[in-house]
Amino acid sequence: MKRKAFLIDTTLCTACRSCQVACKQWNKLAAEATVNRGSYENPPDLTPQLYNQIHFIEQDKGDEMRWLFINRRCMHCSDAGCVKVCPSAGALFHTKEGLVAYNQDKCIECHYCVNGCPFDVPRYDAKRKVTKCHACSDRVQNGLLPACVKACPTKTLKFGDRETLIAEAKAAGKKLYGENDLGGLGVMYVLDDEPGTYRLPKNPAIPASIFFWKDVVKPLGILGFWGAIGVAALHYVTVGPKRIDETDDHSKKGGE
Amino acid sequence: MSNYVDRFNAFDRILHWTVAISFFLLVLSALGLYAHPFFGYFDLFGGPQQGIMVHKAAGVIFFVGWLLLFLRHASDTCRFDADDRKWIAKLGGYLSRKHQEIPQGKFNAGQKLFGIFAIIAALVMGATGYIIWEPTAFERGLTQFALLLHAIFFTLSMVGLIVHVYLATVGNPGTLEGMLYGQVRKSWAKKHASKWFKKVAKS
Repeated sequence: MKRKAFLIDTTLCTACRSCQVACKQWNKLAAEATVNRGSYENPPDLTPQLYNQIHFIEQDKGDEMRWLFINRRCMHCSDAGCVKVCPSAGALFHTKEGLVAYNQDKCIECHYCVNGCPFDVPRYDAKRKVTKCHACSDRVQNGLLPACVKACPTKTLKFGDRETLIAEAKAAGKKLYGENDLGGLGVMYVLDDEPGTYRLPKNPAIPASIFFWKDVVKPLGILGFWGAIGVAALHYVTVGPKRIDETDDHSKKGGE
Repeated sequence: MSNYVDRFNAFDRILHWTVAISFFLLVLSALGLYAHPFFGYFDLFGGPQQGIMVHKAAGVIFFVGWLLLFLRHASDTCRFDADDRKWIAKLGGYLSRKHQEIPQGKFNAGQKLFGIFAIIAALVMGATGYIIWEPTAFERGLTQFALLLHAIFFTLSMVGLIVHVYLATVGNPGTLEGMLYGQVRKSWAKKHASKWFKKVAKS
């Protein structure tokens, strides 16, 4: 199956937030009470009830106001930190379309994914289970578009074969974020500024501690365990144990 | 006269085995989090969530128990003399069959080093365990680093455990008795801890 992906052209976004609403409707997520922070951005961050969010970048430039909008969500990495650290096989997984979905029944509440994600995306809900954008994997498997894409009136959000989306964007002369990072992201952006302006890492990667933990320490640990047992066994049959000569007790003092 | 000499009192022995049992509970309940092939070990505890609960409880028992056990023997453990340096230079005579006379106190230099390593490991495991106890309580970078350190010292502790078990059982016959019934043979004491034996023989 061809890998599917999102292409998000932020230059077309008007921050209508149809995507946020459509996602809540399809995934049956309740509305949340928020407070006015002096910004149109609402809610301010992803929550267990909010799988995608329009992040507002509001820059004051004298009399003018520069407004940038970006749809934030799970990036559906190919080399996904959450899948890498998840101890419960099948709790977080790649669908056959290459999207990162999850099965809450298998979630063991360890929160490793929350710390393994390069983009700080996974959240835990009230049942203490993982939640995040799963690219409406139920809809996609039935040939439908994800709810957010379906609802987007400006074609900011596109969804389809990853190769086709990349080819089209390149043909239109657009620069892509995420084409090759982490094995190729499942969410690629066309940005109007540097990634940092949108709170995106310039070179996204698995956090260093997580990499050393899972790719270095884990295999070394298994090697160390069997290595130590091997060395102990080898020592026993070569040098051997330090035996006590049983006559020691009696010979020197003529018995006790 | 008895062939035996007292080595560990009942409190030390009970404390040691409490620490040992909690250590094995910690390992068994951690394996499922360590790597996919070991996920089935969670079944021992009735499921992953229960396994994690046991891990947390056993962690507290191990930390407090081992800290107490270490402190009870800290004065014997943390002092090294010329004989200890000789022991370290000759690796305790473990690389040859020939008997080497290196006078040692209640604990030999290797046991002392292991004790010091184990208390450092327990402090690191305790501190990092506290940070990842509620995995979203601290800043992400700190939690990620704590997860790494927890795994590193788990690995080192497993190697330490294997060496400890080997040397305290089949590697040195007669040693285990001291931790089971509290007494070791006098011949054992003369061979392994002659300085300590002279001291207890006098009193």
